[in-house]
Amino acid sequence: MELTGSHVLQAPVQKIWDLILNPEFLAKVTPGISRLEQESGDLYKAIAEIKIGPVHGKFEGSAELTDKVEHESFVLKVTQNSKIGNVEADIKMLMKPTENNETELSFDGVANMSGLLARTGNRVMSGVANTLTKQFFSNFEKELQNH
Amino acid sequence: MSNKYIGQSVKRVEDKRFITGQGRYTDDIVLPRMVHAYILRSPYAHARIKSIDTSEALAMKGVVTIYTGKDFENINGVPCGWQVNFKDGTTMREPKHPLLVLDKVKHAGDGVAMVVAETKEIAADAAEAINVKYEVLKAVTNPKEALAPGAPLVHDEYPDNVAFDWQIGNDKAEVDAAMASAHHITKLDFTNNRVVPNAMEPRSYIGDYDTAYDRYTLYTSTQNPHLIRLLMCAFVLGIPEHKVRVVGPDVGGGFGSKIYHYTEEALVTWAAKQLRRPIKWTSDRSEAFLTDAHGRDHVSTAEMGFDKDGHIVGLRIKTYANLGAYLSTFASAVPTYLHGTLLQGVYTTPKIHLDMTCVFTHTTAVDAYRGAGRPEATYLLERLMDVSAHEMGIDPAELRFKNFIPPFDGVNQPGYQTQVALQYDSGNYKAVLERGLEMLGYADFKEKQAEARKNGKLLGVGFSTYIEACGIAPSAVVGALGARAGLFESAQVRVQPTGKVSVYTGSHSHGQGHETSFAQVVADKLGIPLADVEIIHGDSDSVAFGMGTYGSRSLAVGGSAIVKSIEKVLEKGAKIAAHKLECSADDLDFADGKWTVKGTDKSIGFGDVALTAYVPHVYPANLEPGLDFSSFYDPANFTYPFGCHIAVVEVDAETGKVTIKRFVAVDDVGNVINPMIVEGQIHGGLAQGIGQALLEGVIYDENGQLTTGTFMDYAMPRADDLPMFETDRKTTPCPHNPLGVKGAGEAGAIGSTPAVVNAVMNATWHLGVSDLEMPLTPQRVWRAMNHK
Repeated sequence: MELTGSHVLQAPVQKIWDLILNPEFLAKVTPGISRLEQESGDLYKAIAEIKIGPVHGKFEGSAELTDKVEHESFVLKVTQNSKIGNVEADIKMLMKPTENNETELSFDGVANMSGLLARTGNRVMSGVANTLTKQFFSNFEKELQNH
Repeated sequence: MSNKYIGQSVKRVEDKRFITGQGRYTDDIVLPRMVHAYILRSPYAHARIKSIDTSEALAMKGVVTIYTGKDFENINGVPCGWQVNFKDGTTMREPKHPLLVLDKVKHAGDGVAMVVAETKEIAADAAEAINVKYEVLKAVTNPKEALAPGAPLVHDEYPDNVAFDWQIGNDKAEVDAAMASAHHITKLDFTNNRVVPNAMEPRSYIGDYDTAYDRYTLYTSTQNPHLIRLLMCAFVLGIPEHKVRVVGPDVGGGFGSKIYHYTEEALVTWAAKQLRRPIKWTSDRSEAFLTDAHGRDHVSTAEMGFDKDGHIVGLRIKTYANLGAYLSTFASAVPTYLHGTLLQGVYTTPKIHLDMTCVFTHTTAVDAYRGAGRPEATYLLERLMDVSAHEMGIDPAELRFKNFIPPFDGVNQPGYQTQVALQYDSGNYKAVLERGLEMLGYADFKEKQAEARKNGKLLGVGFSTYIEACGIAPSAVVGALGARAGLFESAQVRVQPTGKVSVYTGSHSHGQGHETSFAQVVADKLGIPLADVEIIHGDSDSVAFGMGTYGSRSLAVGGSAIVKSIEKVLEKGAKIAAHKLECSADDLDFADGKWTVKGTDKSIGFGDVALTAYVPHVYPANLEPGLDFSSFYDPANFTYPFGCHIAVVEVDAETGKVTIKRFVAVDDVGNVINPMIVEGQIHGGLAQGIGQALLEGVIYDENGQLTTGTFMDYAMPRADDLPMFETDRKTTPCPHNPLGVKGAGEAGAIGSTPAVVNAVMNATWHLGVSDLEMPLTPQRVWRAMNHK
């Protein structure tokens, strides 16, 4: 499944970078993620709960930030395991300043699913991905006002 | 012999218990102290198992034990029943198909552990607590991609993923020369889409072990209990065959998928002795999608050459068959002996060559599915015929008439020797097409089509004139072809002292209505009421032997075995009757259930003779008491039903949706015992064949995940997808079996698929649509029409 999205956030790149690298903030804005615990450096333990149509389950796994380019980009590697299947995703996050000192936040990646999740969820997954993307950005905007 | 029942649409006696909810399926059986199994399956298509930790699951309340691949390291896997050799004569590659995987999983759904617990729910919960660490590897699901250099390997020991290659027909050079001489060649690429059988009853097994007698019982939702016993005892578990009883009780549909010996059958049988408790495993629907053997999945390039008058001069085919990760019981036979041997079709094609490569991929095993190989062959031939007709500007019906094998009855005219090993028994191919055209009103149809086009409606007609090989199978022929068994059938006719008759048949019934049609034959042959006959099947302890039910063989082979036993009953009965009537057996006629001295009114009834046989006070010398005979019938040849299917479709120009407006089916299945049951079989087959053409299709993603794993994602045909079928029959009796029957179980699924696709092509030719892959979903059709 391909994951892409892009949105302009009303804050400078510096601020977005700091927020998105704050695990507490990221857990708050990312739909389904209930907790991110730092394990070491840029490696986090991630706990998520997802309900998509007939598929719902509790996921446990890791989220790791790699290939960090300060104030510009990083790659988020997510591995999530659950009893209904596993998800592995590599998502490149990109931050670009706009003319008005705002930030265009975009991401581009691929998620591979296995098990029941792949068998029963696939048909609805891209629709769900769009919904989750919208939620992510709207949560981000909301939280941005508190920071 | 009377003719009270044969040829009549007698209502099915078994339906009473089915429609009143009294059918007894494996999952209905509850044994004392029974435990339940759940199989933990691989979520990945290809991965190495790094470790399995069962400690947490084992500690859960209600869990009895957990087995993993380690427990089966020294136990054989489930075997493939047919051996096929490479072109160079070396034996096919037959990888071990272990009961549970030890080191490397090879398709999504491969069994990794079996949890046994007091309830199914506890077993399922405990399976979730098993921690398996995998190293995920790249997977390949397409047979052509699996052959590419560097493709991920299904079995590390086979460095090219080839199971075997094979060829049939005339010398390749002769075929090439014939094609070179052709005035016109039609060349097409085909994908015969993979389908899921989806029997209504999911697979279910119970293993039981009796310590007192050192005896096993396996209850199984199978199409062939004896075959399962043979394969499991001799090839997998090494248990003496006489110590195992296999029962196939009521079975809710098979369509091929329940022919095969599955790992779970051996698992529950083996574990029952380990645990000294009965153990049940029942598949859920999701598991059925993942683990029931799939059907079809061929990728082909086929060329048909014609002379300037439209006569076929040659047929050249290259096919890649996807066999999945392991060789299922019949897997190697389907693309070869059941497919290559049918490429003559109903045409006089003088030169034919099939080059076949069978390939392992990281997918569920592929095996026989209603028609098994014959639908794939029919699809190639019948698509080629309609496309060739279009390309050469000849009417597709006319092109067929030009090329049909002339009528032959197999008695006055010999059988027809094909270029691909088989000899057809009898056939009249033009008769079914003539009748089909008549029912369709073909002459008027062309005007209607022209008019519809003027009104913007895309109306199309498609033909299919199929042949199949049924009555599987003459042992000598299949033995020479490499079957590791002879496909005869057994029948015991036991006349009880009161003249009631119990018939033990090796043909298993799982929807075919044997309990009715077999009883019709017996009742008429013995001249007794239908209610006096009981058909018993599916239990290896009561039935002598059976090769099972598949390949439309039950009546042709199993029914013929019954007839043989009846002949023995009547022969002995005549001796008893002659003794009682004080005459010679030669002076007796048998009719309407009694023996009569010729030219007199002196007679004795069947019941009296039966009683005499069991109370032999006044009895011929040197004759044993009793009236009970067994027979084994090994057919002389396959039977060759054929027919003509015509589809009329309308394609929605705006959406690409295909609606079947009419479907005409004229089938010749030889003599018919019960027309209603034959009609039902044809209807069911048509629905499945049409389903493959328009709706059904398995899709794996690039990682080998089955993305069509539910009924939301895998479309089954429903009543509103189908028109009212217009069916008729022609009768060309089979010349080599006593009933003259040919078999009707698969015909519908074989003929219908290309007819529908041809009709859609016919409706859209003028928009530049030349080929489409099945299933013909609205999206695919719309894209093709709009060149997007």
